[in-house]
Amino acid sequence: MGATSVQLFPEFIADTLGLPGVLGEVVAALIAAAVVGNIVLAFTGVAGPWAKRKITAAFTDRIAVDRVGPFGLLIIPASAVQLLAKELIIPEGVDRPSWDIAPVILPASALLGFAVIPMGQLGPINFHLADPEVGFALVFAFASIASISLVMAGYASNNKYSLLGGLRAVAQNLAYEIPLIVTAMSVVIFAGTLQMSGIVGAQTETLVTIAGFDIPAWYAFVNPFAFVLFLTANMAEIGRNPFDIPEAPTEIVGGYQTEYSSAYFVLFYLGEFVHIFLGGAILAVTFLGGASGPGPESIGFIWFVVKIWGFFLFTQWARAALPRVRIDQLIEIGWKGMLVLSFANLVLTAVIVGVIA
Amino acid sequence: MSLERPDTTDDAALERTPDELEALLGDLVVDRDDHLNAPGFVIRPDTVQQTLSLLKEQAGYDHLSVVSAQEYENRYESIYHLKKYDDPTQEVSIIVPADKDNPVSESAEPVFRTADWHEREAYDLIGIQYDDHPDLRRILLPETWQGHPMAMDYDQDQPQIATLPAHANPLQEHHRDDESDTMFLNIGPHHPATHGVLHLKTVLDGEQVVDVESDIGYLHRCEEQMAQNGTYRHQIMPYPDRWDYISAGLLNEWAYARAAEDLAEIEVPEYAQIIRTMGAEMCRIAAHMLALATFALDVNGDFTATFMYAINDRERVQDLLEDLTGQRLMFNYFRLGGVVWDLPEPRDEFFSKTRDFLDQLPGSVEEYHNLITSNEIFQMRTIDTGILPPEVAKNYGATGPVARGSGVDYDLRRDDSYGYYDELDWDVVTEEGCDNFSRLLVRMGEVEESAKIIEQCIDLLEDWPEDERNIQSNVPRTLRPDDDTEIYRAVEGAKGELGIYIRADGTDKPARFKIRSPCFSNLQTLPEMANGEYIPDVIAALGSLDIVLGEVDR
Repeated sequence: MGATSVQLFPEFIADTLGLPGVLGEVVAALIAAAVVGNIVLAFTGVAGPWAKRKITAAFTDRIAVDRVGPFGLLIIPASAVQLLAKELIIPEGVDRPSWDIAPVILPASALLGFAVIPMGQLGPINFHLADPEVGFALVFAFASIASISLVMAGYASNNKYSLLGGLRAVAQNLAYEIPLIVTAMSVVIFAGTLQMSGIVGAQTETLVTIAGFDIPAWYAFVNPFAFVLFLTANMAEIGRNPFDIPEAPTEIVGGYQTEYSSAYFVLFYLGEFVHIFLGGAILAVTFLGGASGPGPESIGFIWFVVKIWGFFLFTQWARAALPRVRIDQLIEIGWKGMLVLSFANLVLTAVIVGVIA
Repeated sequence: MSLERPDTTDDAALERTPDELEALLGDLVVDRDDHLNAPGFVIRPDTVQQTLSLLKEQAGYDHLSVVSAQEYENRYESIYHLKKYDDPTQEVSIIVPADKDNPVSESAEPVFRTADWHEREAYDLIGIQYDDHPDLRRILLPETWQGHPMAMDYDQDQPQIATLPAHANPLQEHHRDDESDTMFLNIGPHHPATHGVLHLKTVLDGEQVVDVESDIGYLHRCEEQMAQNGTYRHQIMPYPDRWDYISAGLLNEWAYARAAEDLAEIEVPEYAQIIRTMGAEMCRIAAHMLALATFALDVNGDFTATFMYAINDRERVQDLLEDLTGQRLMFNYFRLGGVVWDLPEPRDEFFSKTRDFLDQLPGSVEEYHNLITSNEIFQMRTIDTGILPPEVAKNYGATGPVARGSGVDYDLRRDDSYGYYDELDWDVVTEEGCDNFSRLLVRMGEVEESAKIIEQCIDLLEDWPEDERNIQSNVPRTLRPDDDTEIYRAVEGAKGELGIYIRADGTDKPARFKIRSPCFSNLQTLPEMANGEYIPDVIAALGSLDIVLGEVDR
């Protein structure tokens, strides 16, 4: 299988820098993690203050930031300075340790998820930190830690809107995590492995050849039904329209993040964007063939970036176009619709795979 | 009365002469005091409920437009302006004098729910006590306010110092006892979805609303008092622009113009009426576009494309209005007896610009239908939420798109025609759904009807002979309507029946100037729509009411 033949990123660094022994492995792993983490954070840096504004503006017939630097790009440092320079307002009666920890957990949990994501190669470097045998289960485990952060923030803020937001977040995550994972399991049945590289590897084969074009066996093509289910559940999981109800500014004024300002607010926003990108990464790995794409394997990383940004664009499109569902409707869709459909998909997949294989 | 006895339902629609009404009321009538718009009957302060329910049930006066209260040298007075939803030209005023030293009057609330807020306002500003009122508290002023500012003995230099217990912070209120597990939540005064400074005191059971109470008055600017200190001829007209400031300016100005012109018997040239009609309908489009935009904001969430699209279309109307009036927000374009100036030169450019707008409008409306009303999620959110049955709507005095969304076919442009409306070909839009969705559909339909009206006006104006373009009739420099003439006149504003009551006292300023705000009455229906629903539905219902706090609080 393709990806396993290439060295993982930490091993590559250890070899290149000649770091020996266990200590060398640790240092190399830290360097590699820092590089990957910063790449993801750079994405969010571009996405939050700049790309999001530009995309929304394009959807709504506006221009958005264009005064600061070329294409308004310097708004990124400007916004960073502005946000960090603001006063951190600590409301009376907040539950201190948890109120402070919550904004850290959200980006941390999302960043952890990237530890097992095979982000593809760029030249000799393979942006893949670790490839444990249960990597696929691990990434969902990491991603779902986020709801703890939302509950903590909602509860600790001592604000009724925050509390409502926290409650909504739990209800929503429970209702959508299960269909999400059950749908993902159908992919595992196809691939026969929980290892990320294995799942990506299984999608590199050719499904059919139409007029000279090889259509790869991406699971989005193999099982489009599961793809749509997964995409929907994923939108709910990361809390984007039409499922942005834990925040719902026009209803509950921002929900769990109502009371956060300055650096804590930045952390929350960072966490949300990293979460969107993690959602995109999971989607890419599970259904869109990971880093595969036309051209040599050594530019796979570029394809991967294109795919997660494509997902980001999709979330922004949904935000500009779709109404928000109501909390009770969301729960109904989750438990009565998605759950049933995802189990049906799982059983069908198991039967088909069992009969054919 | 006609010879064949009509059955009771027809009985209600039957038009009665003032004398027949007097006969119906019998001993209840103490005196007659006719207004310019309606016969007026003076009754004793303890027979209000009896009189009003007699008129409501026997004579079909099912619409309590407004309660105007005022103080005279020797008495207080509350006037109940009654109308019929079926035919608003049939009006009657019930005048209830109250004792100068002990102004107590029976409340009309058990007969007309809408009297609740109107009487609270009368109590707040004038100081009349209403017996049998369920909740007689101040409504516009803070609870701790000292004195009644529109009463004659009001001392405006009196310091408004409230002691600490009286100044209890309403935000500290907790609706909690051992039995219940409800939560008290303040929505507003600063909240993204209250469309201004409105405070909703909400009691929640989980996410469901058990009770909601509107707390208004944050934007009270003494508009009535200011109008009473201005001269009829010029000084009052700028104020209406500031009531419903969501670009409904010309519609508001027309309310004052109509009342004052009828009071002072001023004729308006036909040409000016057409310009007024055209301008007013442009304002209606602008106002409904904003209603649509903010409703999308409430249901879709911020950053929705629909909001910006609707604002874009509104901007085009605003450009037209700017060309016409020279202003974008505070038009001050109407004058008693006409409008201030003619269409902008070159006229052809204005006409073609307007036609361009009218040509692209159907496309825009269709786009909104594609974007929101045909979206399944949007339908899930708005259909069958925020239910307002027609009978409840009438009981609360709801008018405008709110009433028409509940199937109440009531539009003053047609039913009590003014301006040039009855010469033009257009329809009143009603929907039977009684829900948030219907109210939105009514507004979208009205935008198209307004476009039809504007187009016909443009056609007329284009062919108007150059030497007959008379934009103002001759109006005396100073208007002094006769002493003790009273009038209540209403027009169809963007949000509903916008009425003005004026009492003249022989000077060049009104002795009493009362504004009947449609939003004020419409907002009262919110608990009926919201109780038992979820928070998002309350927000949607509030959005579908399309209130402007500048008009609610005046």
